[in-house]
Amino acid sequence: MPAAASLPAARQAGGRAAARRLLREPFGAVGLGLVVLVTAGALLADVVSPTDPLALDIRARLQAPSIGHPLGTDHLGRDLFARVLHGGRVALEVALVSVGLALVGGLALGTVAGYGPPWLDHALVLLFDTVRSFPTIMFALALVTVLGGSLASIVLIVVVTSIPVYGRIARTQTQSLRTYEFILAARALGAGAPRVLAGHVVPNVIGPLLILASMEIPVVVTIEAGLSFLGVGIRPPTPSWGSILNDGYAFIRETPWPVVAGGLPLAVTTLGFTFLGEALRDVFDPRLRREA
Amino acid sequence: MSPHSLSRRDFLTTGAGGILAAAALDRPADGAEPKVLRVRAYTNYEILDPAYHLGAPESDVMDALFVGLVSLQPGTTWGWERDAAVAIEQADPTHIKFQLRPGIPWTNGFGEVSAEDVKFSYERMADPANKSPYRGDWAKLAGVDVTGPHSGVIVLKEPFIPLWSSTLPQSSGLIVCKKAVGRLDGKRFALDPPATCGPYRIRKVEPRLSITLERNPLWPGPRLPFDEIHAVAILDANAAEIAFEAGQVDVTHVPMTSVPRLEAKPPANAGLVVRPGLTYWWLGMQMETGVFADARVRKAAQLALDVKSVLDGAFFGVAPRSTGIIAPGLVGHRERNLVGGPDLERARKLLAEAGHPKGFKTEIGVRNSAEFINAAQVVAASLARVGIQAEVVPFASGVQKAMASDKAGGWKKMQMHISRFSMRPDPSWATVWFTSAQIGEWNWERFSSAEYDRLHEQALAETDPAKRHAMYVRMQDLMEESGAYTFLTHGVNAVLHRSHLKPALTPDANRMLLRKFQIA
Repeated sequence: MPAAASLPAARQAGGRAAARRLLREPFGAVGLGLVVLVTAGALLADVVSPTDPLALDIRARLQAPSIGHPLGTDHLGRDLFARVLHGGRVALEVALVSVGLALVGGLALGTVAGYGPPWLDHALVLLFDTVRSFPTIMFALALVTVLGGSLASIVLIVVVTSIPVYGRIARTQTQSLRTYEFILAARALGAGAPRVLAGHVVPNVIGPLLILASMEIPVVVTIEAGLSFLGVGIRPPTPSWGSILNDGYAFIRETPWPVVAGGLPLAVTTLGFTFLGEALRDVFDPRLRREA
Repeated sequence: MSPHSLSRRDFLTTGAGGILAAAALDRPADGAEPKVLRVRAYTNYEILDPAYHLGAPESDVMDALFVGLVSLQPGTTWGWERDAAVAIEQADPTHIKFQLRPGIPWTNGFGEVSAEDVKFSYERMADPANKSPYRGDWAKLAGVDVTGPHSGVIVLKEPFIPLWSSTLPQSSGLIVCKKAVGRLDGKRFALDPPATCGPYRIRKVEPRLSITLERNPLWPGPRLPFDEIHAVAILDANAAEIAFEAGQVDVTHVPMTSVPRLEAKPPANAGLVVRPGLTYWWLGMQMETGVFADARVRKAAQLALDVKSVLDGAFFGVAPRSTGIIAPGLVGHRERNLVGGPDLERARKLLAEAGHPKGFKTEIGVRNSAEFINAAQVVAASLARVGIQAEVVPFASGVQKAMASDKAGGWKKMQMHISRFSMRPDPSWATVWFTSAQIGEWNWERFSSAEYDRLHEQALAETDPAKRHAMYVRMQDLMEESGAYTFLTHGVNAVLHRSHLKPALTPDANRMLLRKFQIA
């Protein structure tokens, strides 16, 4: 079976080439490095900083960075380094879960809209447009007022507001694919709609959506931080970058370190995922590659 | 350059000239700089009607616009002084005779302040049909008998001791114009009083932003040191401090947590006044349903709580621990709490007896502001030592009140909360909110005690200070014995002011008596 054996090998070779191209892009390498840094910090928070992020030491409040507290302490004497690492865990949890769910939901609805009958397409597009017509932050604040601030509420907000974004792209891609010969051939061989979608459409649509998802992650992280900053996101005392920033702002005249500690990971995460997303787009988007 | 073009220099010259011209127009006729007092309010200005206002900053402005029979004395001890009354006396426990100073004119041609205006103002507030939130201040008013154009008698249904401390000298004692207000829809107004009579009048109102007052040219009293008062609403405490440092405001309240820093390093040419507050903070537990319906659980939470840590953490140790809801210096202040320091062993034992040997999860509802959230986080850490895992839930202003009043049962979701209530210098103002009648309103713990309710009513009419004191002490004992309350602090109020000002503050520094401010 030489042909079958060569397919994974070809894919592997393509993957290695893409990785090389990604790492050759200066922004791509920096972005990947920052993303790895943030992700590793969140995943290994307990190892990197064994200090309990909730432990109070009021006598040691608002301390500047030191060996014991690499980012200093907040107004309740909690170790800011530990809180930033655990806050990263919350941020990435929200981002990955909500972006993942939004991607799956948008992919499913978008491909159905693009492949299905016109009435279903119209109905789903109307639904997408209706949801997108609400300003995200206003919608988020309204939903949080009704449901109360929590991790689940934030995930729900992001999923509901992001599904139309993925859905619209998936729909457009599907509509352009449905007249391709390999789709027509599959249908001629008797493949039903679910099989055509799952086996032929989704693999060809997923690429751009994954790139979009990587660029959506910093947006979601800032939404979570923004809601927590406003006091309607993650509930205290659970650490969140937004609440660290908010706490720091209240005591900015005493010390700037809590604001630095809350702002730095937000900046690093946003830059990292944005650089990475743009580099991925440049690597995988054939049109851009041709232009280059 | 065309004849009509404008160089940068021309632009700056013209602009500066325009600004100077505008400033000149703003000056008094004699050409002297207007003396302006610029104060910061920590809430928005929304209602300047004494019967319906919302907060202390509005009271401060109303004091400059209206007169009362008496007014609060600034300083460190509570007292009152005559204002529009040239004579006022308690003829007997239920009759207060007054004589108004003649010749205090209303603006907009409504004549002068009369006894009819006094009658209208106080009876309007007392009438339940008008639904004034302050009708409790006149709960015992039978009516005001007008005996002459400038004289009358306030008649009470029964003795009412708080009258001289928390009614007459406060906003509830201010007089509005019967002719002007009586013709308004609903006999009420918001930021546009139809007639005022105080030493200042409104020049400009920017809703939710600022109010500019200027001298009332009709004011017959002594000339006050300031030509104008600019009252600016700045809700954020940090922004207020920045505004003070930038010279935009001359006087502002600052948060308790800023006190150590400002004491250590005050801004240039500034003074700081720090005084014990009358307000009261406490941790409450809803005792009707849920896990805290069990008295053993409530008492376990009381025993687990390390109040000193809460005060150190949330208030930077500036505010001492309270022993109840009545502050030191007032009748009814308790010497000590029934529950002393934390006793974790007893707390764990009580939790085990109540069926929670490993603790439980709950929520602490707080107002969405730094002081409340910080206090709740330290409380949560304290309770965690006995296994009570409390999550802090910040609520927007008014949401908790709406939940407590929810007849569909929304109040059942309220388990623990940290609250702060404002206070006037009479103990009845503290105890009234915890009567059974307040369940579903302000009594969020749903604490119900027939003895407490009876004592509250009796104390309103008790003229013997010693007996009255004992009644209020017992009422606070009952609250604490229920297990639903842990008293935290009365806090302190801190006011930052320019050193050229001599601020006129109430003894708790909560109110700024604007027309009594002086230049040092």
